[in-house]
Amino acid sequence: MAVNEIIRPGSGVLFMKIGTHANESLADIIARKTREIRDAGFGMWGYGGNTCHPASMVQPFARTFAGRGRTIHLCMEEMNSNHFGEGVAREYSVDGTTWQEIPEAIEVRGSRYALVIEDLHEEKFQLPLDQTRVPVGPSTGRLGSRYIQGRVDKACLEVLEAPELSNDADPRMIGIDMVATLRDPYAVFLRGER
Amino acid sequence: MGLLGWVRDLMSGEDAAEVAPPPKPRPPQERRRVDLRKAINAVSDVVQNRPRPLRVFDQIHMKTGDMVLQSETIADWSDGKRLAFIGDGDAISVCIAYLQARGVLDFGPSQITVFDFDERTVEAVMNFADRERITNLDARLYNVLDAIEPDRPYACFYTNPPWGASNNGESVNVFVQRGIEVTGHVGEGVVVIADDDDLPWPKEVLASVQGFAARHRFYVSRMQRKLHEYHLDDAPELKSCNLYLAALPGNASPGPSLPITDPLRLENFYGLSQPPTVRYVRARKRLDYGVAHEDEYELELLESGRERDH
Repeated sequence: MAVNEIIRPGSGVLFMKIGTHANESLADIIARKTREIRDAGFGMWGYGGNTCHPASMVQPFARTFAGRGRTIHLCMEEMNSNHFGEGVAREYSVDGTTWQEIPEAIEVRGSRYALVIEDLHEEKFQLPLDQTRVPVGPSTGRLGSRYIQGRVDKACLEVLEAPELSNDADPRMIGIDMVATLRDPYAVFLRGER
Repeated sequence: MGLLGWVRDLMSGEDAAEVAPPPKPRPPQERRRVDLRKAINAVSDVVQNRPRPLRVFDQIHMKTGDMVLQSETIADWSDGKRLAFIGDGDAISVCIAYLQARGVLDFGPSQITVFDFDERTVEAVMNFADRERITNLDARLYNVLDAIEPDRPYACFYTNPPWGASNNGESVNVFVQRGIEVTGHVGEGVVVIADDDDLPWPKEVLASVQGFAARHRFYVSRMQRKLHEYHLDDAPELKSCNLYLAALPGNASPGPSLPITDPLRLENFYGLSQPPTVRYVRARKRLDYGVAHEDEYELELLESGRERDH
């Protein structure tokens, strides 16, 4: 997939920092998740926090961009983490009300939410955060480079025509290591333990 | 003016803009100085009792320091009056009543009623009032889309509604409408909504709400800018203001309160493509209210304890 296809003005990008551990490399993760996608027809990428709530943020964001015929790309930046997710989720729900079993082939650990993904692969490029804007939620209108800081480590973003030039800050690029595409229903709630 | 009033004025600084004098100025009254430690500890008691927020319904809690100042501000504004809360996940209602009951504030509303669709909030208010023997605080399960018909009108209302980022403030207007109705269209209100100089949408929402109030013959009597911060992961810098509304002289009710069913007003109620689908959030009965849930932990016993169990 061409990077130009991802960073295309008007496209939707879900940015996320992902923790990798000494005992599982990026390639290992991709291999494991690719098997899940092959066996179940889709994969689930677990996450937490309130910045990308499935029902109030990711689903409306993704549906809006899908309605415009755009593919929503999940762009992930690798970082070291000491956190090991424990407990494999048993059920998922699109709306938090109706629940169904997670396919046996899929294993999501230690997460309250999950993105529904396919076509996961390694891809390295620079994401220009100054050329993105938050299109949903209470920070609607905020530039991606000002939004992603401190405790905010994931975001729904819209790619702008051009970077916003500013005198008070240097252009902010983030190195992306891995990319997937989101598929309907885009994000789900998780519960239970297998 | 109490210590908190002094702190509040210091914090609000030049941003506290008097748009117009209040409609019925009361004679100046010397307030007893507020014991800040007692006030903070009282609010801490309330926070301990507060149900956890449900983000899907835009329940986002105000930070505790701001709750202390806000409670004193609203107690002062509503002194001696009947005050209705149109939703109150923050528990400002409980803070005000408790600060009065504990003698931290020697002023405040004569009666407080909380109307909220979250049974957890209603029960938390009622349980707290019962435990602390607060007789002028009560709560009712109520969905803001339903008509509101109090037994008798309230003098003023307070609301901190979903902020309407995705619907140009229409969700705020729904709560303001109920607030206006609960006062019989002749009272006053405080609306707590987003206030941010960088983002476009809070400005649009403020304009929309002021326009809505004007169409209902209410005017903006005061605005205290950028006062409160929230436990809001994705917008930690976003603040809110107190927007004071008051009825124009001679205002009258245009008719009975009616359910709100217009899909255009509701389609983005809790955010983009998030119309309301839930009438009430029902509370699951628990015995461990206010302490750690049993499913959060398990006990690993000391060896000696295990031996004794054998």
